[in-house]
Amino acid sequence: MHEVWVAGAAMTRIGRRSEPLTDLMAEAAHAALRGAGLEGPDAIVVATMNPEEFLGDGNFASHVATHLGFAGIPALRVETATSSGAAAFYAGFALVAAGLRRAVLVVGGEKMTHLPTPKVSELIGRSIDPYERRYGATMPALAGLVTRALLARHAVTLREMAQVAVKNHAHGAKNPLAHFRQPITVDEVLASRMVADPLRLLHCCPISDGAAAVVLAADRARVRVAGIGQGTDTLAVRHRRELTSFPATQDAARAAYAMAGFGPERVEVAELHDAFAPFELIALEDTGLVPPGKAGRATLDGETALGGRLPVNPSGGLKARGHPLAATGLAQLVECVWQLTGEAAGRQVGARVALAHSIGGLATSNWVTLLEAA
Amino acid sequence: MIQVIAASRCPTCALTVAPPAHFCPRHPVEMAPAAVGGVGEIVSFTTLHSPPEGFRAPLHIALVELEGGARFVCHGAETRGLRVGARVAIEAVDDVYYFAHLGALDRARLFWRRAGHAGDRVNAIARSLAQRVWKGSSGAER
Repeated sequence: MHEVWVAGAAMTRIGRRSEPLTDLMAEAAHAALRGAGLEGPDAIVVATMNPEEFLGDGNFASHVATHLGFAGIPALRVETATSSGAAAFYAGFALVAAGLRRAVLVVGGEKMTHLPTPKVSELIGRSIDPYERRYGATMPALAGLVTRALLARHAVTLREMAQVAVKNHAHGAKNPLAHFRQPITVDEVLASRMVADPLRLLHCCPISDGAAAVVLAADRARVRVAGIGQGTDTLAVRHRRELTSFPATQDAARAAYAMAGFGPERVEVAELHDAFAPFELIALEDTGLVPPGKAGRATLDGETALGGRLPVNPSGGLKARGHPLAATGLAQLVECVWQLTGEAAGRQVGARVALAHSIGGLATSNWVTLLEAA
Repeated sequence: MIQVIAASRCPTCALTVAPPAHFCPRHPVEMAPAAVGGVGEIVSFTTLHSPPEGFRAPLHIALVELEGGARFVCHGAETRGLRVGARVAIEAVDDVYYFAHLGALDRARLFWRRAGHAGDRVNAIARSLAQRVWKGSSGAER
């Protein structure tokens, strides 16, 4: 297996955007290529979760490649629901690691804010088991079930969950590309509108537009892909025995650490999939970054805040940076690259190893990626 | 009163799923037909205040572990006072399943119908009541 390097990384401002998705993806892609000092890649991997429904457009790899001015470059699309960006990164990694390509552009994005929220919720929910959807199960509904089970086991408290959102908003305030840049308080989280009892509005990430891109290369650059792993689980939540942790994350982390040849002790900054605040607490333990049962306490103690032992979601996470579905897995990796190369102005951690964790569906297709400064 | 719910069981790992599936989600083997009783324990529940298109708020959804092992997703009319671990019965109305709390008397009737010997019945009823009191006093979750 050849070594794989991240030669360029870029993303758009995340939020409510009026531009077409292809323009957002072009902005990120061209900036990543400029960063890599390349005129063009020798292959393109595109990540979009559901442009057919959100936009009415299909054949999206060709759509994006043509829009970018790379109609003659081989292009394919990768989809694993909300973790599509991380999956596309894996496909690009595999192409370079196998020696099939020398410079792969991986670009992901989503555009949703032009649709009404109940429609977006229903469309995202199509990644849920069809039988469970017949009962109105949406992502917030299933996350509500997970959260209730966590609280019943006394695994986390409402205050610990709220603190995740407060911390990530504080981080987002330092990120000029974040969807939300205003701080919030624990009291505001606990008083916000109930969405899926016991989850409230400010426990949940927003609906966002945006795009992110990286260039993966065979030639040495400043950041190396140290390890990457996928973990999977049953589509139906009712077919699982475990509700309060995600085996798909545990399996992905195990695979990524095995490839890297080191464990969680070397990770100094992490971007975790906090689509719902308690998911960050679950991910902290599933990835081994915090011992079992300690994630809530570590969060309250500021260990995972900027300036703490292990800053988590310095970008603001899905909660504050925003969650443009297929862009998210790549936006996490872009933040990790910037943290490793000293380009995260205003929120710089100073780390040599970064971890990114992405959840697809309700933890049916999860990814853990480890990046290391050269 | 107890409904029988169609399910399937994996001959390899004994995972039981309802409604029945052709293949086991974890093994590429055909599942065998099975049936589970429509009583069980609340694994978790939520109330959706912004349900998706086609549903009205508030929408109560529960995950129930049925006797026999299958976990089942269903609706309820109400979740006030409901706790994780509570005993519920589930019942189909127009092919949609709903859960309802089991009161002490309902539970006694259920055990009366199920248990084989008079002594078993009394023991089962007593265990059920004791479990209810215990859960009621220590199952606080909010």
